[in-house]
Amino acid sequence: MSSLATRPSDRLVTIIDVVLLVCAGIAVLAPVAWMVLSSFKQSYEVTAYPPTIFFEPTLDNYRSLSETTPFLQFGLNSLIVTIGSTLLGLILGAPAAFVVSWTRVTWPAIVTLLARMAPGTLFLLPWYVMFRQVDMIGTYWALILTHAVITMPIVIWVLLPFFDNIPRSVFEAAQVDGCSPLRIFWKIALPLVASGLAVSSILAFVFSWNYFLFALVLSNSDTKTLIAASFNFIGEGSTNWGGLMAAATLIALPPLILAVIVQRWLISGLTLGAVKG
Amino acid sequence: MKSAKSQLTALGAPAVIFTVAMIAFPVVYTLYLSLEAFSSTGTTRFVGAGNYTRMVQDANFWDGVTITFYLYFLSLALQLVFGTALALLLFRAKRLPGFVRSLFISPFMMPPVVAGMMWLVILDPSLGAANYILTSLGLPPSEWLASPQWVVPTLAMIDTWQWSPYVALIVLGGLQSLPPSVYEAAEIDGASGWKRFWRITLPLLLPTLVTAMVLRSVDLLRFFDLIYITTQGGPANASLTLNIYGFRTGFEFFQLGYASALMVTLSIIVLGVTLVLNRLRHAVAW
Repeated sequence: MSSLATRPSDRLVTIIDVVLLVCAGIAVLAPVAWMVLSSFKQSYEVTAYPPTIFFEPTLDNYRSLSETTPFLQFGLNSLIVTIGSTLLGLILGAPAAFVVSWTRVTWPAIVTLLARMAPGTLFLLPWYVMFRQVDMIGTYWALILTHAVITMPIVIWVLLPFFDNIPRSVFEAAQVDGCSPLRIFWKIALPLVASGLAVSSILAFVFSWNYFLFALVLSNSDTKTLIAASFNFIGEGSTNWGGLMAAATLIALPPLILAVIVQRWLISGLTLGAVKG
Repeated sequence: MKSAKSQLTALGAPAVIFTVAMIAFPVVYTLYLSLEAFSSTGTTRFVGAGNYTRMVQDANFWDGVTITFYLYFLSLALQLVFGTALALLLFRAKRLPGFVRSLFISPFMMPPVVAGMMWLVILDPSLGAANYILTSLGLPPSEWLASPQWVVPTLAMIDTWQWSPYVALIVLGGLQSLPPSVYEAAEIDGASGWKRFWRITLPLLLPTLVTAMVLRSVDLLRFFDLIYITTQGGPANASLTLNIYGFRTGFEFFQLGYASALMVTLSIIVLGVTLVLNRLRHAVAW
């Protein structure tokens, strides 16, 4: 394909390409940059009209977040729910992916796709009735269990190709040596898919962190996650854009950093195997 | 061998039990709830198809269906066009520095709720940066999310900003898997760049595009986070999609039975669209 770009007329095209690419990059980045810039502005400057690009940066917005809102408590809640549901997703999903890869019985994995397709409210309505009956609304466990509905399918579908890539002969040889499936899973297969475990944990973490709907209904003021608490910041934000943008920046930071780390596997992970990245 | 089989069952069992308890059973339970009416005192009454007959007579329901599909088609079209264009650009740039890729994944890895907060400030009708840019270009300012007429296009624009790069990366994967030989043959035949795209690249790319359509359709038809954080269905119900309407019916007015009927209907719509697109995917496969 390299021959395509060698003619002089094509070289001209590449300059246009670069210009277009830079424009696309600006379109993607400018709103994010505006959010971050605004978070460092003084309160009188952030609502200045016309908007200012050059200003004296301040950390006041970040400082006041922890003073005027339970930001740290919300952050801790987010971490508890996200890490809990990621671990639960791994504990449930990793053995399941191994069994699906081994036996080629795929229906349990396909049923989990239901969770990816149906609107969250479809699950939230019966969960709400169920959790209300056992008095679990507002508990971390209600949030961890429901967020595991997001994380487990991710773990299964991300790990499946990793397990599939292990040559069958490895398992067969181990079986001939008298190794039971349990031991093969724990001692041979899991170490071989270590990178898959890392990728699926990170993706599960990101999606659980970003998930809004379940915590909106199933948390209370003590267990509210950062995402579900966004409404609190918007309420404040009507007068305080700097604080709102500081909160937005901090909430977006963990998923963005993690996504950059796993970007090689991102697309195949996000599309649950529908697209090879 | 019998113990080997029971061990495999034991390994898979927790996930199956969890799936049944948290996914399959709740879906069946919603179907049942959709046949009940909840009173304000918390008692329930079996009403059979009552919620569904109420639904077909409910103007908000039909408006919700219309708004859902309006938002769906508009967003999907924009994202496919911009995503494909961006993918072609990235493909021609060949060696892509890692940071460029990171740049383009940042919109869709950001929580949609944060994207909503961000755009609320940018699109503020009186003090936002967007209207400042419009007026300095001599264009009239817009009410954006505060305008019943413009709220859906504005939401579609925000979602397009967020998800076009995702479509682009999927399409880029499709482009990279196309056999180079067809291009070389086309070039020898003297086909122009534009012709090469319409006659060769696009037809070969169709399966990838349909896959991207399936993935985006599932998300767009149940569009929630961005709308709920920015407008909650307003102004004047102009962005009250079926999903938002169902959520508010359930958790603001606590009509859990009627909300279940709405959600069952929306799920059937999502499933139907997915099945149609899957057929299309088989039809364009090569």
